[in-house]
Amino acid sequence: MRMVLSKIVRLVVVLFVVSFLSFWFVKLIGGNDDLVAKMIPFSSEQEKDRVRNELGLQDPFFAQYGHWVGNFVTGDFGQIYLGAGDNISSVPVSETVAKRLPVSLELMLYAQFLALFFAIPFGILSAHKASSRFDKATNVTAFGMLALPQFVAALLLVIFVGARWGWLPTQSNLPNFPLNPLDNWRFMLMPTVALALAQIAIYMRLLRSDMIATLQEDFITTAKAKGLPTRRVLLRHALRPSSLTLLTVAGLNVGALIGGAIIIERIFKVPGIGGELAEAIFRQQTLEIQSLVVLIAFFYVILNFGVDILYSVLDPRIRHARAVS
Amino acid sequence: MPEPSAEPGEEIIRSLATDERREMVPPDAASLQIAAVEAGPEIAGAAAGRKRLGIGAWLAAIWLILVIGSAIAAPILPIPDPKRDSTLPELSSDGSLSVIAAAPSLDHPFGLDASGLDVFSRTIWGGRASLIIGFVSIGLGFLVGGFLGMLSGYFKGKVGGFIGSLLDILLAFPQLVLAIFVVEVLGHTVWFVTFALAIVATPVLARITRASSLSWSEREFVVAARAQGAKHGRVMLREVLPNTLPAMFAIAILSVAVVIVAEAGLAIVGAGVNPSVITWGNMISAGQADLKASPHIVLAPSLVIFLTVLSLNYLGDVIRARTDVRESAL
Amino acid sequence: MKRHKKAAPTGERFEAAPLDGPLLAVEDLHTHFHTSRGIARAVDGVSLSLERGKTLGVVGESGSGKTVLARSIMGLLPKSGTERTGSITFEGREIIDATDAELRSLWGSQMSMVFQDPMTSLNPVMKIGKQITEMLLQHLDISKSYARELALALLQSVGIPEASRRLKEYPHQMSGGMRQRIMIAIAIACGPKLLFADEPTTALDVTVQAQILDLLQDQQRERYMAMILVTHDLGVVAGRADDIMVMYAGRVVEKAPTKVLFSELRHPYTEALLLSIPKIAAPSHTRLLSITGRPPDIVAPPQGCKFSPRCPYVQPRCIEEEPPLVEAPTPGHEFRCWIPVGTPESRAALEANEAAGLASAAEAAKAAKIAGVHANGATTATAAPLAGGPHVGGS
Repeated sequence: MRMVLSKIVRLVVVLFVVSFLSFWFVKLIGGNDDLVAKMIPFSSEQEKDRVRNELGLQDPFFAQYGHWVGNFVTGDFGQIYLGAGDNISSVPVSETVAKRLPVSLELMLYAQFLALFFAIPFGILSAHKASSRFDKATNVTAFGMLALPQFVAALLLVIFVGARWGWLPTQSNLPNFPLNPLDNWRFMLMPTVALALAQIAIYMRLLRSDMIATLQEDFITTAKAKGLPTRRVLLRHALRPSSLTLLTVAGLNVGALIGGAIIIERIFKVPGIGGELAEAIFRQQTLEIQSLVVLIAFFYVILNFGVDILYSVLDPRIRHARAVS
Repeated sequence: MPEPSAEPGEEIIRSLATDERREMVPPDAASLQIAAVEAGPEIAGAAAGRKRLGIGAWLAAIWLILVIGSAIAAPILPIPDPKRDSTLPELSSDGSLSVIAAAPSLDHPFGLDASGLDVFSRTIWGGRASLIIGFVSIGLGFLVGGFLGMLSGYFKGKVGGFIGSLLDILLAFPQLVLAIFVVEVLGHTVWFVTFALAIVATPVLARITRASSLSWSEREFVVAARAQGAKHGRVMLREVLPNTLPAMFAIAILSVAVVIVAEAGLAIVGAGVNPSVITWGNMISAGQADLKASPHIVLAPSLVIFLTVLSLNYLGDVIRARTDVRESAL
Repeated sequence: MKRHKKAAPTGERFEAAPLDGPLLAVEDLHTHFHTSRGIARAVDGVSLSLERGKTLGVVGESGSGKTVLARSIMGLLPKSGTERTGSITFEGREIIDATDAELRSLWGSQMSMVFQDPMTSLNPVMKIGKQITEMLLQHLDISKSYARELALALLQSVGIPEASRRLKEYPHQMSGGMRQRIMIAIAIACGPKLLFADEPTTALDVTVQAQILDLLQDQQRERYMAMILVTHDLGVVAGRADDIMVMYAGRVVEKAPTKVLFSELRHPYTEALLLSIPKIAAPSHTRLLSITGRPPDIVAPPQGCKFSPRCPYVQPRCIEEEPPLVEAPTPGHEFRCWIPVGTPESRAALEANEAAGLASAAEAAKAAKIAGVHANGATTATAAPLAGGPHVGGS
């Protein structure tokens, strides 16, 4: 329990530092005037001043920071500015986030699921048949998959599967993000595959190497000597102690994918958080970028924290060791 | 957990996964990914025992020499000007304005892009920026990150923990997002992008160096050196560093591959080097507009990136396998 | 809820199988491993037979092939790089060429093994109860709840206190002795006819060793199991085996019923093993015989007798020609030596070697002196024979 508490404290500290650094970095480089000018380049001076006041850019640094943090934790992530001349309107970032975050989470979950779906059986099989032709072939394939950059895979999919052969829809064919399951899956299939490809290779290799080590352990010989069928030995005895690294990495990837899917979301025009970040970059909305970056970082940190806790739950030896120490 | 095997990649994963300070810090995705590639497909494994390099290593080396060589020699190569100032549409024989982008042909092995520029030439020129970004950012990352990592692995306890915490903060940002952020705030030049990627690489490399330094610092000869009264700096320089270098070299090569891909990724998202500079990423980004009709614009630099990454990964693997053998012989 | 009496561990249920012929018969078994340096002949022509309910002790140093023999008979060795030839018949059925599926049906229910290190041999992340019940459920047609009851009864029968609590615990929560008891419980759970015990006490404290060995013996008697007890310690099998087989470099060098082995031993290696057992009655600080040299390389073993490099009695013939396994006058006693212990030739050989300064002979002579052997071969009650007479003090 003490461990968990200290971790929570650590978590909060990290969150604060992350937000502070982000905030400070923006202020450090971009002067206040540049900031506003970049965000609403076609506005009048009046509007610029109005926005400056709104943003409280005249206040001292720490007041601004405090203000910003206060807003952030209550869900106010700032505004996206649109328009020109004297008509500058704004849309709360939180609205966009609320709409787009679920999409990203959906993509991420699909990708993880797909990756594990392929990686686990192949990992187990290639460990069981280590050094066989099957193993070598899987090896080479995994190597290739790892070397293939995500965006290349994505582009290949768009060009051939999407555009040339028309098997699956790309955004250009669809007006809105499809909500009904079948269309949704058809649309999400390509981005999911593009995201999952490298993951499959990594997960499979991780599981394979841990499993090969486990399969040499004495208790596996005991299990075999009990007359248990191979499938049971592999799945019930060997898999669990070997899956720790894999699950850790998978857990961490869930967080990393939120940020890492940016490229995929851009290429396939998936309306997720990553895509929103790309949009913000395009539209030079520095404050929105700042909020999104911090938001995504928060997710990542909290997810890592969750994985850490999960870690100790999974392996009873660690749980017990902690209880004893 | 099973005993660590001789492979440094797996040892690194395990020591990352079971942090010495017993705080069970989960390793971050990036260092695990690098370590996973390291512990990954043992393509070169079989060749490691033999003295001579296999054909794969030679192919990889040849490709890299080709790419790097042509990038360096670009100004003197007999290739069309990559920036010929001709964006004027051309009149075709039937009097209509032709679509400029042209598919690969004998004249233009990679075809022409939307502005009528030779893609092959641009790919070669693009390599200059992309490769500089790759190698320099990792160079920087290693200098700073490697240094910090070695310190932190050598001095366990408070100093190590402090440095570790600093790095953890940086690691709290998802990598691409951090890079985007830095580029957005600083600017879209080659050097800023390099710097941004170096910032992203530093904590990851530090983490890995730390794991390696930690395990080496506990070996007897280091303790012996200290017992003989050698100062910390000397011990680190003379005992720890030479032993961590071989494995780190393999990781460096793998990391360069990661950064080259990252540069392209940044460009696609709009946070890369500004489009007036030719980089592989920029070519891909610009080519997205004509995917259906002219895929070659995007496919050419993509293919080059893929082959380069493949070669770097393969060579990194070979080096890993070789340093492996030496380590296990100890 | 079915309750099949099939699982009842008594001797009654063996009446169905034919009782003529031994339970296990091994004929000229060879187990070769293909290594990078060549073929390692871990088991090189071993034959044995075992009746139901009897115990065979297999004794030898590490590298003698005894563990490989046990696993070889069971069929537990990895497939790749391993070659087995010869004949292994279990209950009259040839099993050396049995398929994996056939072997799996034998393992656990007909024959099982207790391994050396219970800490690493038990699954660390699976509850003890589960490790036992999965075995029961695999081989017996019973319900889960009955399996649990059986598991409880098993734990109690191997002497584990608070058995019901232990069922829910993990291996690392128990002591070494308890873990080994659990291993034994698992091994005998389905009432196998043949039990292999591979160095069952080596990883345990001395105080616990006797308990475990007693437990094995009790269970064996109760269940009428045959047992093959593999160990490097002759003392372990002394009071507990019906027959003893001494192995060296993958071959049998002496085989005899226990009493016969101790009273009429013939092979120098057996003698050396005997002399290296500490005896309670001997004065403290008694120097034990240490056998000089190291076990032979099983990839490139010596040409003649495999023990010759270390034998105190070695003569030129031993180095050139390997002795065959011959029968001694006493029935059931076989040995493999040109100059067996206890003959005048061996005495002469020892003296000649000692005079020539052979290290092993010198060592042997020292041990003999301390063991109280006189020049004419007569011994004191506490000593063992060395190139001398037959009778041995209590083990």
